[in-house]
Amino acid sequence: MDALRDEIGSSDPLPPIPPMPVVPAPPERVYTPRPEKSAFAEQAARHTTALLGIGHVGTRYATNVVLQFQAELAVAHAAVGAELPDGWAEQNGFVGVRSRVTSHREFLLRPDLGRRLDEASLEIVRTRCTKGIDVQVIIADGLSAVACMQTGKALHDAVVRACTARGLSVGTPIAARFARVWLEDEIGQEVGAKVAMILLGERPGLGTGDGLSAYVVHAPKIGNTDGDRNMISNIHLRGIVPDDAAERLAALAQAMIAQRCSGVTLDLGRLGEVTGGRGYRAPQVRQRLVES
Amino acid sequence: MQLASTIRGVSYRFASVKEVLAKANPPKSGDDLAGVSARDAVERVAARAVLANMTLRELRENPVVPYELDELTRTVEDELDEQAYKAIAHLTVGRFREWLLAIETTGATMRAVAPGLTPEMAAGVCKLMSNFDLMTVGAKCLVVVRANSTLGLPGRLSSRCQPNHPTDDVEGIIASMREGLSYGCGDAVIGVNPATDTAQSTAEILTAIDEVLKRNGCPTQHCVLSHVTVQMKALELGCPMDLMFQSVAGTEAANKAFGISVKLLDEAWDLMKAKGSTKGPNRMYFETGQGSALSSNAHHGADQVTIEARAYGLSRRYKPFLVNTVVGFIGPEYLENGPQISRAALEDHFMGKLLGLPMGCDACFTYHATMTQDELESLKVLLGIAGCTYLMSLPVGDDIMLNYQSTSYHDIPTLRRLVNKRPTPEFDAWLDAKGIWRGDGPGPKFGDVQAIR
Repeated sequence: MDALRDEIGSSDPLPPIPPMPVVPAPPERVYTPRPEKSAFAEQAARHTTALLGIGHVGTRYATNVVLQFQAELAVAHAAVGAELPDGWAEQNGFVGVRSRVTSHREFLLRPDLGRRLDEASLEIVRTRCTKGIDVQVIIADGLSAVACMQTGKALHDAVVRACTARGLSVGTPIAARFARVWLEDEIGQEVGAKVAMILLGERPGLGTGDGLSAYVVHAPKIGNTDGDRNMISNIHLRGIVPDDAAERLAALAQAMIAQRCSGVTLDLGRLGEVTGGRGYRAPQVRQRLVES
Repeated sequence: MQLASTIRGVSYRFASVKEVLAKANPPKSGDDLAGVSARDAVERVAARAVLANMTLRELRENPVVPYELDELTRTVEDELDEQAYKAIAHLTVGRFREWLLAIETTGATMRAVAPGLTPEMAAGVCKLMSNFDLMTVGAKCLVVVRANSTLGLPGRLSSRCQPNHPTDDVEGIIASMREGLSYGCGDAVIGVNPATDTAQSTAEILTAIDEVLKRNGCPTQHCVLSHVTVQMKALELGCPMDLMFQSVAGTEAANKAFGISVKLLDEAWDLMKAKGSTKGPNRMYFETGQGSALSSNAHHGADQVTIEARAYGLSRRYKPFLVNTVVGFIGPEYLENGPQISRAALEDHFMGKLLGLPMGCDACFTYHATMTQDELESLKVLLGIAGCTYLMSLPVGDDIMLNYQSTSYHDIPTLRRLVNKRPTPEFDAWLDAKGIWRGDGPGPKFGDVQAIR
């Protein structure tokens, strides 16, 4: 045992401390939106929002990259965690309803409850909303109440204008809380709308929480599935702007009423230009969140 | 068969093998959503006690979806290796766990019995194992496959480079791919999830990736993860395609919702054997994930771990080059938080390897799940130690198209150093020649995108 200890180092198992090193300042790493330091980062930023050309320290990130990442993560989490405040619907000119979900955690874990109205809301829809219209528009929190509050009303109003311009009658404005996509089936069924359209906050990405998606269904009724719906995603200022989305949504609703169907059976042939597909999208720029 | 057990004088009875399997599962939000989980921790242990005394023969005779109702059950049953099955059929699930953990049971021994195991057996023993158990056995399993390069050798940790783009801008995809290669990522596959599911777009992306790989002499594989029917059309157009991809689930009904069947996958595999651009013999790539069957209401009252294992039972038929669970992608209604996602990742890796698949993992979370970045980083280390064949890699782990958080270009070299692993031998030699990675650390060109032309 003594021999073994000698071999490891008899008095101290570590070698002596070396002379104090001179620690130079590492080169500054610059995050993509200020790409002037890297030709590759500049070139890449014209084609993608992916964080490229960010360099490395050892095999890890530079400190300013870590801070940017954490700020973007915080933005995404804040968007998911936000709730529509009490009274928000009424203050913005909507009839407020809610699903059978009672808490935010339950909303995330029980999609089935988010697809149905609670009893009080069902009564509100039955007594206070216009029946027998062409299009029922609903705005909702979905997975980002932040997106709903930021652009929900603007998108709603634009959709109503676009529908009216096409001669379609529009129902009472409804804002739904703790709502999943399929909630449009029950609401649309109750008001006897030909088409129901729900505009709701989509799953946030890193640094973004402002995107809305729209799901449109003909002959809304409980029991419809995803194959019965048409959708447009990425509705936000860096994606499809609300006015363009509204035009496409109104065109979709009109086509559904004309063809009496929606989803996989709807013929989008002549709608190509209005409803997009793989259309032009403005180049996006990743926003620098940590300035100092 | 005894379907009852007693704990502290209270007796617990179960109606079926399927119920025992479900209630033996550790807590998962998806099993709660399906209404199949144990009501409390004591009932969970009671179910495990019943399961521990069940034989592997009884599990084979009681698949969670009947033979008559489901082509996956038929595929597994009809193709089972009877000789391998006979070697282990008499074991109880409890004894099977102990046999797997024994030092004498090597990766080679497990390879011999793998063709005789049904998914229900892999899922059953999984439920009796702790995370350490899952890692101990997972690390012993030896699954080696080959396409252009050789994946899964001992001491190796590979990665998929995932340069996704929200509008399939090819220059954006290639920029990200070049950066990934310069960090030593992409030895499993350069795999792009396309935003547009068309044959033209698939062919366009594959052709662009192929050019970069050829120009740089880079020994890896490429794949565009559009629907299998779209890739088949692209292949008919005459584009290069090293691997063909499809998402698969654990029941016939769930796969129908994905628009696939055994017949269609057979056709796809045949087409790849005829027209695929790799030397093979392994040519297919599958992704799975707990909860995918429940999301189309096609779970037949079974728990999500057992259904997941059945997806591996189907994958096995096609001798795939890559299989990975996309563990945290589907959302908190199936796996709520860090502990559930981490547990599921280790379960899926273990079950896949035990059934003979080159199992990788997309260790990830969506922003509405309750998992921290630190928890995700810890999971990557667990998987690295457990012998996971490959992980994903993206710029800062951020998928700008699918909106979720996964493994980063920086994480792969970091993890390789931490757990002392290397990329595939072919890729390792290429990185050395390029000056990107030398031995066990960065070379002079590490992180320098100019090293990739």
